[in-house]
Amino acid sequence: MSYIDILREAEDQVTPGMSACQGCGGELILRRLLQISGKNTIIGIPPGCMAGAGVVGWNYANGLKIPVHIPLLDNTASFLSGLSQMYRRKGREDVNIVAMAGDGATADCGFQSLSAAAERGEHMLYVCYDNEGYMNTGYQRSSTTSLGSRTSTTPIGSAINGKTQQQKYVPLILAMHNVRYCATASPSHMADMVAKIQKGLAASKEGFAYLHVFSPCPTGWGYAPDKSIYYARRAVKSNMFPLWEMDNGVFKLNDQNRSPIPIREFVQGIGKFKALTDAEIDALQEMADARFALLKRLAEKD
Amino acid sequence: MGTKKVLTGNYAAAEAAALCRPDLIAAYPITPQSSVVEHLAEFVHNGKIDANMVQVESEHSAMSVVQGAAAGGGRVFTATSAQGLALMYEPYFRMSTLRLPMVMAIATREMTSPETIWSGQQDAISVRDAGWIQMFCDSNQEIVDMVIQGYMIAEDQRVLLPVNVCYDGFYSSHLTEGVDLPDQAEVDAFLPPMTEDNHPVMDPENPFALDPLTAGPLMMKYRKNHLDAMAAALDVIEEVDRKFAAAFGRSYGGAIEEYRCEDADVVIMTIGGMTGTGKDAVDVAREQGIRAGLIKLRFIRPFPAKRIAKALEGKKALFVIDRSVCFGWSQGPMYMETKAALADAKERLCHFSAIGGLGGADISLEDMLGVIRDLERMKEEPGEKETKWFIND
Repeated sequence: MSYIDILREAEDQVTPGMSACQGCGGELILRRLLQISGKNTIIGIPPGCMAGAGVVGWNYANGLKIPVHIPLLDNTASFLSGLSQMYRRKGREDVNIVAMAGDGATADCGFQSLSAAAERGEHMLYVCYDNEGYMNTGYQRSSTTSLGSRTSTTPIGSAINGKTQQQKYVPLILAMHNVRYCATASPSHMADMVAKIQKGLAASKEGFAYLHVFSPCPTGWGYAPDKSIYYARRAVKSNMFPLWEMDNGVFKLNDQNRSPIPIREFVQGIGKFKALTDAEIDALQEMADARFALLKRLAEKD
Repeated sequence: MGTKKVLTGNYAAAEAAALCRPDLIAAYPITPQSSVVEHLAEFVHNGKIDANMVQVESEHSAMSVVQGAAAGGGRVFTATSAQGLALMYEPYFRMSTLRLPMVMAIATREMTSPETIWSGQQDAISVRDAGWIQMFCDSNQEIVDMVIQGYMIAEDQRVLLPVNVCYDGFYSSHLTEGVDLPDQAEVDAFLPPMTEDNHPVMDPENPFALDPLTAGPLMMKYRKNHLDAMAAALDVIEEVDRKFAAAFGRSYGGAIEEYRCEDADVVIMTIGGMTGTGKDAVDVAREQGIRAGLIKLRFIRPFPAKRIAKALEGKKALFVIDRSVCFGWSQGPMYMETKAALADAKERLCHFSAIGGLGGADISLEDMLGVIRDLERMKEEPGEKETKWFIND
């Protein structure tokens, strides 16, 4: 079945009234994820945009049609570890145990519990929607915020020009935990994303599965809401966000991207990048090239 | 009945936890608690008990993993001390406010700084307002019995709160005593498995949001319910003590234990492992003609204010020994709370706070006898006296 048919037929598990911003990448990712995982799912969504948008429940009402909990910002993977082990213990491994966490809850304060759950091989699918900052609280910097970005805590100032560090590349770090499945995805490449959600759910019955998804954010990044998919696609095309997967230890580049566009083109029109210097653009290009070269090496067949 | 064993306090806690048939144990090592989880890991790895053992990377995750398992309907256990308890504070507070029952042992330890690994009760005492039921033991037998009773109290429908079973690090955790360890069949008969409907369980067959964003007026109701459950626990504690006595022949007196208090003029109040020394001091003082008695504070949350007030009716003098401090008051925390329980103490009682045993320091028989003699001398002069520090160079 094509991904279009899959998504056409699968029920949306989000109830009406969700209040995400127009053009939100996170909402799109959440809806697709839950369409595929279906009713037989328990999800943990820590504080962040998706929780703030009301899908963890508000005003005595559930925001999802499935059981949902808002764990602490830093314990999503460990809370779900206990839940997952109980479900296996009850002989109900068919229940999908899923996390949907932002980059703050994943790469920053939640990283320790995530790393430990991955190392223990807990049976779950952990999805990070990476919008490169703490968007729900007004776009503060996170460790996945890219170099030179304007955020509320790394403003463009006369002395310091935005974020001074390169982003931390979480998916490869997770892959080095011997997880069962690890992949990156982008909502601009929906067929690829749907396939990876399916693979991730299947892998979560055997071990830890991790999906790192590019999540464009018009409100925080400063661009028109109808441009989200456009920028997500350009992130992939520029190698800022390469698409790859690691299945049982075998790496694969899902998009060889033989004629990448320069980073200088990718950052065009995105508000958070408006004060980038030439040196910063060069540094971003260097980082993207080096990362892509490394991934290509990992994906080479012997 | 049972088997006589020689056990450290930590092994006593582990053996008792195993007898309660936990579904899942998550733990992280920390001195002086480590041998609790080592012993439980040994049970699991040798197939002696059927529990999931999750070797987590921190106490924060230990509490988070058991929280998830409890939200999935499991009976769970963990143990910690001091810095570990401090690190787990965030999910610790949430365990009680989610109203999820469990038992956690705390081998109590002084809080750093100064850097220390030794005994003290500052760790457990400092989190007394995090919504848990907290009780303190002074023998390894009591540790066994209270872990078992702890699940019955925690899972009671009038309570539904997690329970801390605290005992003094090293003094109890590492010293051996003879313990009557109940048989599995006896514990099974006393403590039935947790029922499916004990508390709401996350399940796709019955979808709901666990802990949605909650507005103030509803939050007010949640907190009041939590406090009402704490108050109800006072009765449940006494009930479970009686049930346990009927099944195993051992009673601890419920929330407090009174020792030679009936005709006492001067009363000392103790908490945890210092109680044995306190009882000896009372016996020696009585031989010397002082009418001394002792109240052992067993449960500090809920605080048994009424029972304490009743036990002190007609007494002349009181000191409360704390193995922790109340910053900002130059007094011990349980002394502060006992005063709050005695509205007319100022006019009626001669009383003061005594602080000792911090960071593993000793609380000696001489320390106790010294203050008993002070009390005897001052017992006709009601009012609060200066805090006594057991500082022995």
